[in-house]
Parts: sequence; C-alpha cells; structure tokens
Amino acid sequence: MLQTQPNNGYPVGLDVGTSRIVTAHRVDDDFQYKTQLNAFVNLPFSKMTEKTLAKEGVPHSIHDSEIVVHGSESERFADLLGVETRRPMSRGVLNPDEPLSLLQIQKIIESLAGPARAKGQKLCFTVPAAPVGEEGGVTYHEASLKQILSGFGYDVRSINEGLAVVYAELESSNYTGIGVSCGGGLCNVCLAYLSVPVLSFSVHKAGDFIDSSAASATGDLVNRIRITKEDAFYFNGYFGDKRMQALSIYYEDVIQTLVAAMKEQFTGSKSLPKLNRPVPLVLSGGSAMPKGFRERFEQVLGACEFPIAVSEVRLASNPLEATAKGALIAALTDQ
Amino acid sequence: MALSERVRNRWSDGRIVHQAERIADPVEKLHFLRHAMKGREQAPRRPVWKRLMLAASVIAGFFFLLPPPSVVSDAVTVEHYASLPAQGLSRMPQKSSDVWLVEDGRVHETYSNGLRIDNSFLVENEPRFYQVLDRRHDLQPSIDWRSLPVGIVFHSTESSIGPFSADQNENLKRVAQSLLKSLRENRSYNFVIDRFGRVFRVVSEDQVANHAGNSVWADDDLVYLNLNSSFIGVAFEAQSGPGVPVTVNPAQIYAARVLTEMLRSKFKIRAENCVTHAQVSVNPSNLRVGYHTDWAAGFPFAAIGLRNNYDLPVPSLSDFGFEYDTLFRKTMGNELWRGIGLAEQQFVREAVHDGRSLGEHRRILQDRYRRLYSALKLTGALEEHFDATNSTQ
Repeated sequence: MLQTQPNNGYPVGLDVGTSRIVTAHRVDDDFQYKTQLNAFVNLPFSKMTEKTLAKEGVPHSIHDSEIVVHGSESERFADLLGVETRRPMSRGVLNPDEPLSLLQIQKIIESLAGPARAKGQKLCFTVPAAPVGEEGGVTYHEASLKQILSGFGYDVRSINEGLAVVYAELESSNYTGIGVSCGGGLCNVCLAYLSVPVLSFSVHKAGDFIDSSAASATGDLVNRIRITKEDAFYFNGYFGDKRMQALSIYYEDVIQTLVAAMKEQFTGSKSLPKLNRPVPLVLSGGSAMPKGFRERFEQVLGACEFPIAVSEVRLASNPLEATAKGALIAALTDQ
Repeated sequence: MALSERVRNRWSDGRIVHQAERIADPVEKLHFLRHAMKGREQAPRRPVWKRLMLAASVIAGFFFLLPPPSVVSDAVTVEHYASLPAQGLSRMPQKSSDVWLVEDGRVHETYSNGLRIDNSFLVENEPRFYQVLDRRHDLQPSIDWRSLPVGIVFHSTESSIGPFSADQNENLKRVAQSLLKSLRENRSYNFVIDRFGRVFRVVSEDQVANHAGNSVWADDDLVYLNLNSSFIGVAFEAQSGPGVPVTVNPAQIYAARVLTEMLRSKFKIRAENCVTHAQVSVNPSNLRVGYHTDWAAGFPFAAIGLRNNYDLPVPSLSDFGFEYDTLFRKTMGNELWRGIGLAEQQFVREAVHDGRSLGEHRRILQDRYRRLYSALKLTGALEEHFDATNSTQ
C-alpha cells in the first residue's frame, strides 16, 4: 500500500540519504518536509497482518509472498521482532548487497513525493560527493536514482549534498562557506564561493559506522544502538552504560576523521579561491544532532591548524531537513 | 589563471556581491549568483597544445633531471586518518622498570621483588572502561575513556576466621579454598591474600572486579566514582569484630607490600590512590560515608610502604557534601581520621568562597552527586555490583 503525500506541482527537493529520505516543498513562504526512514523489513505474509497494516496506514507492499514494511515504521517492527532492518543504501550509495534496494527506494520515494503532478515538474535530489580516494564511485547511484525519478514524470537534476547545505543555510554570506552534512553513510563536505562549488568530497565514517562499530563492541543489534543513539546520546555525558561508552568513542573517531580529511583536502587543493574574509561552516544531518557535537567539532577543528579561516561553526536550523531544503532551493532557482 | 583574469574576477566578484546583498529573497539571490558566476564552476583550462607542451616538458624534466629510482614498489597507497587508540586510552602508561615479571609459569608468576601470584582461581570478567571527572574544571566528565587501573582499594573479606596455628593447618587451607571459590564466582576482588600470605589473582588487573561499586575517591586532578572500574581490589582474608579492627598477620602484610609495589610499578599508581574500602565506600540513599567499614581503622599503611592515607581529605565529604554518623565514628575507634577534618575544612572554605550557607552548599554538592549517580544507575552500570557485593560482604 502506498501513502502518497500531496504534491502541489511546484518544484520538489529530495534528500536521498543512507538513513533517511526527506522531501521538501514550498508552500507559500514556508518550507514543508516529509521524512521516511530509508529502510525496510520483511514480515511473514498473513492476511490478518496485511489487513492490520492497511488499517493502521503502515506503508508496505507484498513481495514474493512476504510483506515488506518500508520507511519509518520498519524500525518499530524490526525492534519488536528483534531483527535488523534492511537498508536500500549503504555508505551513501545504493547498497550493492541488497537485491531489493532499487525497488524499496522507489517505494519510499513514491510514498513521500508521489508522481509528478505537472509536466516538467522540477525535482532536485541530493547525491554524495565521491569519497576521498574513490572518484567516480557515485555514478551508478546517481544514474539509477535519475531513472527512478524520471519514471515518476519529474524533470530531474541532482545536487551535491554539501552544496545543498550551503544553499539551505548560507544565504547571509551570499552562499559562500562550508557545508557539512553528517549523515548515515557518509559525511559530505563542500566549500562554495558565491554559490559555486569549489571543492567537495565525502568521508566514509559517519552515523552507520558509529552504529555498527558500537553494536559489535557491545553485542547489541545495530538497530537498537541507533535508537539509543538518537534518543539519548549526548557529548560530555557521564555514562556508566556500555552502549553510551561505545557511542562516545566512535563519535569521537568520526569527528577526528572528518576534520583530518577536511584539513588534508583543503590543504592539498589547488583550486581554492582567495577568500578575503573568514567563512562560516554549517553542520547538518542526523549525526550532527547530539548535544555537544558542534562544540566538540569546533574544538577539534580549532586544534588542527585548518587552512581556511572559519568565522563560525554552527548547526543548521533544521539539521535533518537542511539538505532537502537546499535541494528545493536549487530546484526553485532552475525555474 | 592569468593575472589579468584574476584581477578581472576580483573586481567583478565585488560587484556581484554588492548586487547580491541587495536581494532579499534567498531563491532570487541564489538565482542571481548562479547566473552571475556561470562559467566559474571550473578553473579555466589551458589550450590543448599548451597542455601537451607542458606535459612533454615535465616528462622530459623527469627523465633528464631526476636520478633513477632505486626502489620500485607496487604497493597501493590508501587514505589513512588517525583513529582512536584501541582501548580508548589517550596516553599509554609509561613502562615500569622497578618491579618486573621474572617467570610466567602456567599457574604461578614470580616477580623481581619476591612477589608470587597464584592464578589457579583466575576468572574472566568485563574489561575496564570508565570515565573520570575533572576536578580542576568543575567535575566535567573527561572526553577520553580509560581502561587501566589508577588505584588500589584494600578490603577485608570479613569471612569466618579460625585460630591461626599449625594444628589448624588443614582447616585453614580448606577455608581459604572455599572462600576463593566463592569470591571467584562473584568476581569480588582482583586479588586475595590468604592467611598464609599467598597472593591469588581472581580477576585480572585489566578487568573489573565487584569490590567497591558505590564509592568515591579523588586525587589532585580527578574524581573517580564506582571504583570497580578504576581501582584494583585487594582483599585480605581477615575479619573485624564488634569494636575490634581488622587484624592481619606478618605474612599477609609482606604479601600486600610486594603486591602493592608490583601494581604501583606496573600501572604507575600514585600513593594517594592506595586507600581502604572504608575511606571510599558511600551510601547513595542517605548520602553518608562508610557504608562498608572494612579497614576503617588500623590499616598498616607504613608496613605496606605507603604513607598514612587516613590523612588524606575524604572527597565524598569535600566534593559531594556527604556526612557521617556516630556508628561510623565508632568504627574509626572514636579517633577521626585527619582526612575527615581536612575535608570538612575544605567544604567550609568553599562554601564561604562561593558565598553560600553550609546547608545550601551541601545541598548543591549532594545534588551534583545525585545527578552523576543517577547517570550510573539508570544505565545499569551498578547492577552487577549490588548482586556481587551483597553476597560476599
């Protein structure tokens, strides 16, 4: 069963993240968002279950005599059944080990955006930058998503995830600054100068790395760790709990790795413009949300002799939705 | 990019910024900027013939100017960024050279100071992994986690003790064996010194023993809660009586001395972090010190090679506003440790410094402890401790 959200025929911003898929629409002067977890779980088929899911409005479909619950509800079912959710994406791109990746991602996008309402309706979706040392690694992912979205009737273009953060948050500095999106599969970084992306790259260590590493350290299900992380984790906490301890360690690792990569990439780049004033840096994404993340990131950045003068490090106003908003702004400017 | 082009871009960027700043709508502003900056997405490229010429001259330069490589490698270089140390340590402890392991047999270990450790009762437990509170920064939790012990808590097993004489030899050995089995099951201490002065390792030093869960101690820099994780538990097979302090024999004292020397040497443990269970034990429900009272008096610090640590300020009193009752006074033999007086003085000094009444200051410090304790308790860190210590002490 599909739950199609109203689509007003105006441009759509779509953030296709490893962890979540978010759509953004502009309604009058407001931005509206819809989110689904980019995950699914299989349940044994029974007519009773199917009927109950339909009655409760839980997004699902039937596949090979199994019920597939997709989107945000899958997490609840996985937790109840004590199994892991299946993930259409991994490390920022389509999961090569998941045979249902394209099908399920299509279902989730359809449940959020629905088909185009008008001919030539613009849709801009996010794609990660190539991970450091893996140039060209996102081509298949980008092309597959374009195909799915074109199939829904949209006029499709893509935008780099870090640049989307710049478009969403850095209007006050004329879209000059550094956008960092700390997501599930990757951390994406983009330096933009007057809206032009100058340097962008991604780093593999992100939210999923934290979840899976902490899960293997504690023996918990990854899904359980993710729920704990999102519900209760914060920086500089005094924890006696092993899960929190492990999360704290791996979060620190992610920040250190990200800042080290940023320093290396910016130092090594020959295409940096000469910036005559310090630029702002915006953090977004679900992995940047725990209390204290911004402060810790700023601390590590400040200690590393970063080659670009940074005027401020701030958290996006809506970290979970900034990327979709940036994609929408890009789509709106294409009109 | 040619100099003239750079100058031109600079000049035009200034104009673009000036115009962009006059646009209020973010979408319109971006639209304008993207249009104005069109063609600047990529650095301008040299013409093909120029690039070919440049490449040719670089290659020629390499051939003619550089010496031939002496080592050829087909190793693939990969991006590498520093990750955290494996055990969550920020610093590795210095290597000790004072006391060293001489022989590492299957069951027994012999050390250079005469210490002999029996591992026949050794059992596995959780590895140490703990946070500390920074005393110089208002008890902020540390960012790095630790996995090595920083101190020693001395206990007495408070188990039944028979007469210590040759005709009781078999009985003494049987009691010790039975005690060790029970302590092993509960993972009660890291080390046990029986009445013959034999040292048994029950839980390895890098692992947690359930010897002092509700506890507080501090050195100059750091405060430690739940000393199971941060301190090594060393227990004497011994028992106190009503109004009678724990007594141990010379063999046990000698064993404790060489064991303490080895542990301090191996883990660089500070002398002020070698304390007794009574000094660290607290009762979180009534916020009084001395929930466990083993070694509340008479611990032979000097004989073990330590200064009298009863003189050290008791951090549960000074930092968290704990109190003590008459019962605890009695266990000290009605002679208060000097450290209690010092902690009380410190408590008063800080209250005056902060302009608070003593009652208000105590309430603030106790609230601080309660918050930290709740964090430990809610997350289940203390559960194991309760079960284990209830059954052994």
